[in-house]
Amino acid sequence: MPESLEFLSLNFWSPLMAIGNLLILFLIVKKFLFKPVNDILDKRAKEVDSIYSDAEDMRTEAKMNKDIYEEKLKNVKAETDLMIKSVTERAENRKEEILKEAAVEAENRKIKAETDIKLAKKKAVDNIKENIVDMVIDLAQQVVEKEIAEKDHESLIDDAINKLGERV
Amino acid sequence: MNVEITGAKIFLRLPFGILITETQVNMWIIMLAIAILCKWLTHNLKVKPEGKRQVVAEYLVNMSNKFVTSNMGDRFKNFSPFIGTLFAFSLLCSLSGLLGMYPPTADLNTTIGWATVTFVMIVYYKIKANGLGGYLKGFMEPIPVLAPFNVLGEFSTPISMAIRMFGNISTGVVISTLVYAALAWLSSLALQWLPGVLSGIPVLQLGVPAILSIYFDLFSGALQSFIFCMLTVLYIAQASKGD
Repeated sequence: MPESLEFLSLNFWSPLMAIGNLLILFLIVKKFLFKPVNDILDKRAKEVDSIYSDAEDMRTEAKMNKDIYEEKLKNVKAETDLMIKSVTERAENRKEEILKEAAVEAENRKIKAETDIKLAKKKAVDNIKENIVDMVIDLAQQVVEKEIAEKDHESLIDDAINKLGERV
Repeated sequence: MNVEITGAKIFLRLPFGILITETQVNMWIIMLAIAILCKWLTHNLKVKPEGKRQVVAEYLVNMSNKFVTSNMGDRFKNFSPFIGTLFAFSLLCSLSGLLGMYPPTADLNTTIGWATVTFVMIVYYKIKANGLGGYLKGFMEPIPVLAPFNVLGEFSTPISMAIRMFGNISTGVVISTLVYAALAWLSSLALQWLPGVLSGIPVLQLGVPAILSIYFDLFSGALQSFIFCMLTVLYIAQASKGD
């Protein structure tokens, strides 16, 4: 059986060795446990931070894009409004033109019709005039065959008929 | 019946009175175990943890960091590895008693050594906070007559820490030695009617020492390690505040 220390004993070197052992173990634990784990924790914290900042960037960008698109949409609306307005204006103008043309055309037709009517009326009056002359002469012949000579009275009757024609 | 309570066995006597005892050897074994454990725990760490191993490693480091920063403040974060080492080392030294090894913390030489480290740190931070003059003047307060007591008080801190741990752990060793011896004696008394070798079987040693071991080795060991670290942390934090 190897000899033992007294239960309660102190010597110079053993506490120093205990201190040395503690310090050596401290370095080991620091290098092999705390450093790598703390590095990983730091790295994770950094990664999380970068994820957050990326998300923030993306949010800002999305908001910017949204603003841009909203602006564009607004412009598009204004543009369409403008287009519609110009088209409507053009249509309105065209309408006016067509109406004006139609009015002119109608006026022309009216004038032509009136001329036609006048011509027709004149023709009819001439026709009637002739018929009445014939008829009156005929009648006059029959009524005053014996008293009046055809030649003497023809101018007289013509005058009467002309007066009649003016009245018609 | 002859019960002998001794300290650590001496394996080797080197020149200049250096002794290689069971305490040293057990400490080296525990250091090796802790080193291997650290290396194994931190093998292949990932930013996104994949295995339980990394979770355990991070838990241990975080626990130590939190313990130190919550008791000492953020500026002492660098102390975390030291306090963690101190706790793990003293805990496993005490627990080595469960494996039948001689706990290095049951050797006064060990605890004196560790308490000296704490003492040096306390003095260092006191001098850093108050200046050397302020530190020395602190002994003259409230009146110079009390200086010897103040010096005693200064040294009582590491001595009480060392003896507290040594006392608690070595008590476990002593008591379990006594209990084993008593139980062996009791069982030989109870079994003496059996023939031959059979009467020598210490049946009563089965079970009973385990219950005592739970208190003296496991509970006391953990508690003393915690107290030692807590006192170290608090004394240093207090010292760094200055007077």
